[in-house]
Amino acid sequence: MNATPEDRMDRLLREDARRGIPDEGFSLRVASALPRARAWLRPALLLGSAALGGALAWLLAPSGTSLVQGFLDLARLQSQTPSAVAAIGMALAMAVCAAVLVAEEN
Amino acid sequence: MVDRPDPADSELVLAVVARDDGEAFARLVRRHQSMVRSVLRRLAKGDAALADDLAQETFIRAWRNLRSFRFDARFSTWLYRIAFNTWLSEARRRREVLLEDSPEAPEAEEPPPGAPAEDRVDLERAIASLPDGERAAIAACYYADLTHEEAAAAIGIPLGTVKTHILRAKAKLRARLGED
Repeated sequence: MNATPEDRMDRLLREDARRGIPDEGFSLRVASALPRARAWLRPALLLGSAALGGALAWLLAPSGTSLVQGFLDLARLQSQTPSAVAAIGMALAMAVCAAVLVAEEN
Repeated sequence: MVDRPDPADSELVLAVVARDDGEAFARLVRRHQSMVRSVLRRLAKGDAALADDLAQETFIRAWRNLRSFRFDARFSTWLYRIAFNTWLSEARRRREVLLEDSPEAPEAEEPPPGAPAEDRVDLERAIASLPDGERAAIAACYYADLTHEEAAAAIGIPLGTVKTHILRAKAKLRARLGED
C-alpha cells in the first residue's frame, strides 16, 4: 500500500525530530551558568542561628556560669550544676549543627 | 555488578527539590537538551546560536522554579512550556508575534523561484518559513512530542487552532519540499 503525502510528511518530521542534537558541551555550559546562591545559604543560616543562640545563652545564663567551669564540673561527674547544664546544652547544639552540615554535604 | 537503571525524571526532580542536587539536575539537562534545543531552533527559524542562548535560559528558569513543578504533567511538557515562554518573551521584545489563526499572519520568507522544489529548501528552512503559530504547533507536536491538547495548553491557543495550524503547516511543507 502506498503512503499518502500526509503520511510521508508526518514520517519526515518525526525522523527529523528523532535525529536530535548532540550535546557538545551544552550541558556543561548550563551547569556553570546555574545560580549557586542556595548552596551556601542553608549552612550559613544554620551556623548563624547557632552562633546567635550561643550568644543569647551566654548573655542570659545565671551570673557566675562559665563553660569552662561546666566542663570541669562534668569532669568531676557533677552534672547538676548550672555551668554543667549550660556546657551539656552547648555541646548538644554543636553536635546537632555538625550532623545537619554533614547531611547537607552528602 | 548490576547497573542501576536510569532514574525517572520524577526521581531526579525530587532529588533537586529535596537537596539542591546539582548532579540530578545535570542528568535532567543531558536527557532533555536535545528536545529543548530542537524546539527552540524551529521557533527561532533555524538560528542555532539564539536557540542555544534561549535553551540555556530555559534550563536556568527550570532550576529556579523546579519547586513549582506539580507532577501532574510530564516533566518534558513542563520544560516545553518554559522553553516556549522564553522564546515568546524574546520574540515579543523584538516584534509582535501572531500565534492565533489570522489572515495577517506573515509568511516569514518565500523560497526563491526557479529551481526545482526539492532543491529549493530543506526541511529546516521550510519550517523557518512558516508563520509563528504554525511553527509553534509543529515544534510542539513533533519536536517536543506533545499531544494536540498538551500543545494547545502550552502555547495558550484553542485546540481547534492547533489542529488547523498543523494541517496548514504540513500542506505548506509538502508544497515547499515538492512532496505533492
